[in-house]
Amino acid sequence: MRCIPRHTFLIGVAASLAAPSALAFGQAGAFHPRMLLTGGATWSGPRLRAPERWGWELVRRTSAPARAVCKTVRASDNRLLAEPFCVWAGEGEISPLTRRELHVLGRFIQLGGVMVVDDFEPRVGTFGRAARRELARVLPETLPVRLDPSHVLFKTFYMIERPVGRVVGVDHVDAIVRGNNAQVLFLGHDLLGALAQSEIGEWLFETESPDPMFREQAARLAVNIGMYLLCSDYKDDQVHAPYLMRKRAAR
Amino acid sequence: MGLADVSWAFSEDLSGAWVWGALGLGALSILLLALETARTERRRFLVLASGVLATALLLAAVLRPVAVSLRANSVGPKVVVLLDGSTRLLIPSEGKTRRARAITAAKAISSTFKDARVSVLEFGAGAPYALQGEGEGGSLSVESDLTAALSHLNSLAQEKPQAYVVVSDGRLSRPTFDDDLTRLKQLALGVPIHTVSIADVDPPDAAIRAVHAAGAAVAHQPLSLTIELGCSGGLKCNEIPVEIHELRYGMPKALLASGVAKLNQDSGKIELQVTLDRAGTRVVEVSIAAPSGDSLPENNSRVIAFTVTRDRIRLLHVAGRPTYDVRSLRMWLKSDESVDLVAFFILRSTEDETRTTSNSELALIPFPVDELFTEHLPSFDAVVLQDLDAVAYHLAQHLPALARYVESGGGLIMVGGPTSFTGGRYAGTELERVLPVRLLSSEKPFDLEQFVPSYTDSGRAAPVLRGLRDLFGDALPEMPGANILGAPRENALVLWEHPRKKIGQASMPVLALGEAGDGRSIALGVDGTHLLAFSELADEGSGRGFGALWDGLLGWLMRDPRFEAARTELVGECSEGQPTTLMLTRLPSMQGDVTLTLERLGVTQVAPIVQRIPNPPPGPLKIVFSDLKAGGYIAKAKIGSAPPTRYDFACERGGQAWSDSRVDPARLDRIAKLTGGRAVAASGLSSLPIPRPAEVAAERRVSALLPAWLWSLFAAIVLGAHWLLRRDSGLV
Repeated sequence: MRCIPRHTFLIGVAASLAAPSALAFGQAGAFHPRMLLTGGATWSGPRLRAPERWGWELVRRTSAPARAVCKTVRASDNRLLAEPFCVWAGEGEISPLTRRELHVLGRFIQLGGVMVVDDFEPRVGTFGRAARRELARVLPETLPVRLDPSHVLFKTFYMIERPVGRVVGVDHVDAIVRGNNAQVLFLGHDLLGALAQSEIGEWLFETESPDPMFREQAARLAVNIGMYLLCSDYKDDQVHAPYLMRKRAAR
Repeated sequence: MGLADVSWAFSEDLSGAWVWGALGLGALSILLLALETARTERRRFLVLASGVLATALLLAAVLRPVAVSLRANSVGPKVVVLLDGSTRLLIPSEGKTRRARAITAAKAISSTFKDARVSVLEFGAGAPYALQGEGEGGSLSVESDLTAALSHLNSLAQEKPQAYVVVSDGRLSRPTFDDDLTRLKQLALGVPIHTVSIADVDPPDAAIRAVHAAGAAVAHQPLSLTIELGCSGGLKCNEIPVEIHELRYGMPKALLASGVAKLNQDSGKIELQVTLDRAGTRVVEVSIAAPSGDSLPENNSRVIAFTVTRDRIRLLHVAGRPTYDVRSLRMWLKSDESVDLVAFFILRSTEDETRTTSNSELALIPFPVDELFTEHLPSFDAVVLQDLDAVAYHLAQHLPALARYVESGGGLIMVGGPTSFTGGRYAGTELERVLPVRLLSSEKPFDLEQFVPSYTDSGRAAPVLRGLRDLFGDALPEMPGANILGAPRENALVLWEHPRKKIGQASMPVLALGEAGDGRSIALGVDGTHLLAFSELADEGSGRGFGALWDGLLGWLMRDPRFEAARTELVGECSEGQPTTLMLTRLPSMQGDVTLTLERLGVTQVAPIVQRIPNPPPGPLKIVFSDLKAGGYIAKAKIGSAPPTRYDFACERGGQAWSDSRVDPARLDRIAKLTGGRAVAASGLSSLPIPRPAEVAAERRVSALLPAWLWSLFAAIVLGAHWLLRRDSGLV
């Protein structure tokens, strides 16, 4: 894993040196995209370091802290309840969730956790459909809805016109919304693919568009998701409304 | 003196129907006899007379007449003197007080009615009571309600008096001059009410007659106060300057509004708008600048306690960077409908690379720190500073204003993080003095050791953490380090402490509450309370732990009674020179010694008055303070080791009772005339009519005139004679 050279990350490194199992003061509440594993799945492959890159992008662009090292967590493990964020990513069919996984995931959502579902092959969409099917078993009473383009997710840090990842994908984000909170975000854009790098910092996947701004737009979506997690609907506050409306009008 | 009175009646074992039936039958017999004797000339009158006599004797045999003798005693008339027991009578009058003159008059009445049974009672707000003392002490009332006094006397099962004598200056609370006095006449039950006016000259006086508020006081909302002014006793008042101040603890009073009232025909009013920013009990002083010659300066000011409510808690939440801790607090605050949240999070620092070519690509707004902490700061009920570097984000220049805001009644919570407390460069600033803990600039800003905070005895006793302890008991999540906090200040209590880290000899505070002037502040030296919202431990409480903690912290900060160890309230009014009673009602779980500390609002050198009650039994406590001077007060009640509870109240010299110093003999005259009494001045007591003695029935004796058999014998004899006369006259 790679350490991110930012002040907030340094604290974490210092703490790690002092007490290897300890989180640094100020790091327990840092952004941490944990990879959710179900069944016998493991986290490996070219997107292995994409979660750290996600945190790195957040740290270098915003004031938010992020974990230097990202972990995986199994859906059957109570440690899923230790933090309010996880990413369920993959491709192809997935095995049905066990009763234990359904229970823990249900508690995760009930406590207010946020999950991003990212399909590596959105054009095929097998993983995305399977994830929706299984999450429907977790939350049978709540169906995914399409987030409006004015949803706070698209203005938590950057003003985003439409979501993109490695691929252009659909022009919207579906989500399971409970109360006023979008708790499960369904991405059909392979966001982790756009963030995946090799150990020497080379992009591991070409984006669908050769425009260098395309990957930048994907990074901005990742940052916005991180800020949505950390600030919830802060940018929907009345104090921001006139300012953001003027910005939208100017663009 | 004994009297005997004899009367006649029929036997009491016969009902009225039988008596009337027998009398009717007798009358019919006599009528028929008269008709019968009309037919004969011979011995007509003898026959008639003997028949009537026989009938009468027969009736006597049936009705058995009795003699009823009644022996009665007469006693001196009962006279009740009702002395006006209002503090208004402490107004000076011709070298003495009106009260002294009233007591002299009451004594003179006892001498005037020397054969009467005179009892002297004082009347105030409710039931009249025996005259307790001649000084200014005792149980004087702001009110002088004659209607209530008579109503109470009527409710007692006792002898009705022959006369009431009311001794007053006439300015009664009830009946007012404009009241319909019919009710008073009914309450008198036909007993005349004589009145004695103890003064007939108004003192030269400019006064605040009344202060009226248009509606309830709501924090941050303008409140219109109408001040009624009066001038009497020949004092010339054309214009009177009026000022309204708020009395604050440990600070000079703050001017809220001022104006000049124009008086027309010795009275006038002025309407001023004030805005009270802090909820709870706020003490306001309304004062006038009276013209020279004013003989009663005591009623030139009124000290009034307003209960200021808030529609919603207006809260400013400022965070130096977004984290899970910030997220949890924001989501909880947003979910609470009673909170009007204004939030500013620092989302980008100058070091951050946003990779944008134009600001329009960013959804960011500048942090309006100057505007927030100057123009808008008073509009907030509380401020939460979370992991915010005071220097980097230009808050440092506003820290003195923020400290004054807290001392003026605002709430402050500083939440931990790497850039909180010393790490946020708050050590040695003005804000530090309003925090409940000292900051140690010589120490490193935070400690990286993981730990589980420990509850202190105060933490276990404090209602503020009761909700959290109900969920988890003593269990708390493991924290990834803590801000280094110094020793607690005076008036601060530590609820959580570090289990190992020491500051001097004591454990390092982790969560501390403190009072600072009129405001309250909280120091929370960790950034991991979000683990009460989302963690395996949080799951055990279904995520309610975070809400339970913050509901308590915010509630305590806003003086929500749910999170106070006790409730204090004033019994009656507080008048200077009169005993002041405070009622302290403790939560059932609150045990231990009770310490009640009374301090004056404003800047004062007067030492606090402290009363300690060692381990009192459960139940409400009445604590009496004597000789309080006029002004605003705070009463801090500390129960055992729980955080103290604060109660603000106003104490006045004169107060409402002195607001109108004019005497009102005309009202006494009306009362006397309406009830058949006589109105006199204190010098004319000898003209009061002396009531007649009261007669009391003591013995009643019933004796038959003759035995029934003798009536029957006489009747038989006369009937026999009547028969012979009838035969002799040819009627048989």
